[in-house]
Amino acid sequence: MITALRLALRALLAARTRTWLTVLGILIGTSAVVVVVALGSGARERILAEIDNMGSAVIFVFPESRSHSGARVASNALTEDDRDAIRLSAPSVQAITAWSSIRTRVHSAYDSYRTVVMGIDESHFDVRGFSIRSGRSFTPEEFRNKAKVAVIGQTTRLELFGAHDPVGQTVRIGQHTYQIIGLLAEKGRSSFEDQDDRIMLPIESYRARVSVTSGRRVQILVASARSPAHTAQAEAQIRAILRERHRLRPGDFDDFAIRTQEAFRKNQEEILDLVTTLLLSVALVALFTGGVGVMNIMLISVAERTREIGIRLSIGAREGDILLQFLFEALLLTLTGGALGILLAVVVTIVMRSTLGWAMSIDINAVIAAVATSTGAGLLFGILPARRAARLDPVDALRKG
Amino acid sequence: MSRLAELRGVGRDYLVGGSVVHALRTLDLDIEQGEFLAVVGPSGSGKSTLMNILGCLDRPTRGTYKLLDVEVGQRTGDERAIIRNRLLGFIFQGFNLLPRTSALENTELPLVYRGLSRKERHEKALRALVRVGLAERIHHTPAELSGGQQQRVAIARALVTDPPLLLADEPTGNLDTLTTYEVLALLQELVSESGRTVVLVTHEPEVAACADRVVTVRDGRIVLDQKNASPVRASEVLKKLKERAEES
Repeated sequence: MITALRLALRALLAARTRTWLTVLGILIGTSAVVVVVALGSGARERILAEIDNMGSAVIFVFPESRSHSGARVASNALTEDDRDAIRLSAPSVQAITAWSSIRTRVHSAYDSYRTVVMGIDESHFDVRGFSIRSGRSFTPEEFRNKAKVAVIGQTTRLELFGAHDPVGQTVRIGQHTYQIIGLLAEKGRSSFEDQDDRIMLPIESYRARVSVTSGRRVQILVASARSPAHTAQAEAQIRAILRERHRLRPGDFDDFAIRTQEAFRKNQEEILDLVTTLLLSVALVALFTGGVGVMNIMLISVAERTREIGIRLSIGAREGDILLQFLFEALLLTLTGGALGILLAVVVTIVMRSTLGWAMSIDINAVIAAVATSTGAGLLFGILPARRAARLDPVDALRKG
Repeated sequence: MSRLAELRGVGRDYLVGGSVVHALRTLDLDIEQGEFLAVVGPSGSGKSTLMNILGCLDRPTRGTYKLLDVEVGQRTGDERAIIRNRLLGFIFQGFNLLPRTSALENTELPLVYRGLSRKERHEKALRALVRVGLAERIHHTPAELSGGQQQRVAIARALVTDPPLLLADEPTGNLDTLTTYEVLALLQELVSESGRTVVLVTHEPEVAACADRVVTVRDGRIVLDQKNASPVRASEVLKKLKERAEES
């Protein structure tokens, strides 16, 4: 066994360039597999953490165009009245907020910037988890009076005011000027958007001046259930209320879509799985190609060393001895490639994490899988050339070499 | 003398392009222990085929081959490999040493397949190399050795397992006259000193003249089997050759 290993090592070192090129093929394949899995599990961790961060009792309601006897008709929008109805008669819903937003250019004394302008209601901060860093939030009077006041997110503030204190200053949106009364505490990026890139107005004010045609329609409703355990009940209550208000008959499709945090999670997991599987199959193709390279080199090696095989057979090597010798060579190639590939993957992961800021984590399962795959490849791609070597007729082998 | 090898009705046919070629037709041959036997004949006579069968590299199509009273002709591949390893030693025209491998390691090779420990292999290989007079060149690779030295490494490799039968296929074909007699002297010593049996294939009459017995093969048959009453003593020829070389 040890002798066979030493033999294999010696043969590989004798053809150094060829050996390293072959190892390179396996190396690239293995590290591709490990990096892809690391990328996948890192992305999963981050995105799922974000979704969990939304709060496990959060329920999203979107308007959705419905299919009516085959034809698509315009969506029955969600309105503030829908929100009020749910707030009033859905006992499992703790709080609910509705908002609308557009992307438009906003001007300050210093600069102008395209950002998200939102019209929000009183429950927004509570349900969505925003808070004020400096200044203040809207008063109930300001909500009622369509006051020309705004709170500003950190990203938008930096674009419009730089280091200046925005509180007390004004911004212009369209033809109207609004006084900034508060700066939002930073909330950071979600996978969907920069949550600090926004300006918020009271929804009455937004409807009166920014988006005058929308009426009481809103883009989204977000509710929170009393507890995570109440989520399903809350969802059912919201659906019943909306169907009744939208005059849907039994059998009609919903003209809205309800997404719970759990559904989001499932959805994202499916997408992540798909992407990871896709990337992984590409990486496996790379590994397979490396394996074919090993087989190729081993076949050449067997052909070149026919005389050596003949000599070994003539002095008493059995078929199994020759088989093992060449199999060990193939295994040594793939295992070296596998080990170096894992090393490279670790380096790549660390570099990507520090330069691109991608969340990546080396998965021990991925490492095991990569080692298993490269060993398997060694056996799979080594067995054919090794068998060819072992089956050689000693007389032919001695004559041909 | 006791019987070492016994061939009875041995034949070997090949299929070449759909037609049968009789490389060996029907052949009987007995080889006694301690014999130095030369097999001569023109090329294509079947002497190499005979050698391959004697060496258990090839199987006869018909007939029986007994080695030390055991039928070996129709054994499986692995069984024949073990027989080659235990009972036979090969010496080839082209030396057939592994390149980039030291004389010592080349000599050890048959013992590797016997599963001996590293230390035992070293000791035995060293002894064999000393026996062929290469004690000072054990770490040289074939490329660093002369033809005669390479052939002596090959002889050491054949000797290392202490086999009763040495098979030499044109062992001097690639050597000049001086080294030819060096090798022949060594083979003669091995026969006379340790009672080993040597079967040597050659087409050179001078080489055959050193053997105790000459078997002539033609068209796949033994046409002549003669005892050589006074074989040429290779060591004496060698001495004369050396003297002449010094004079000139």
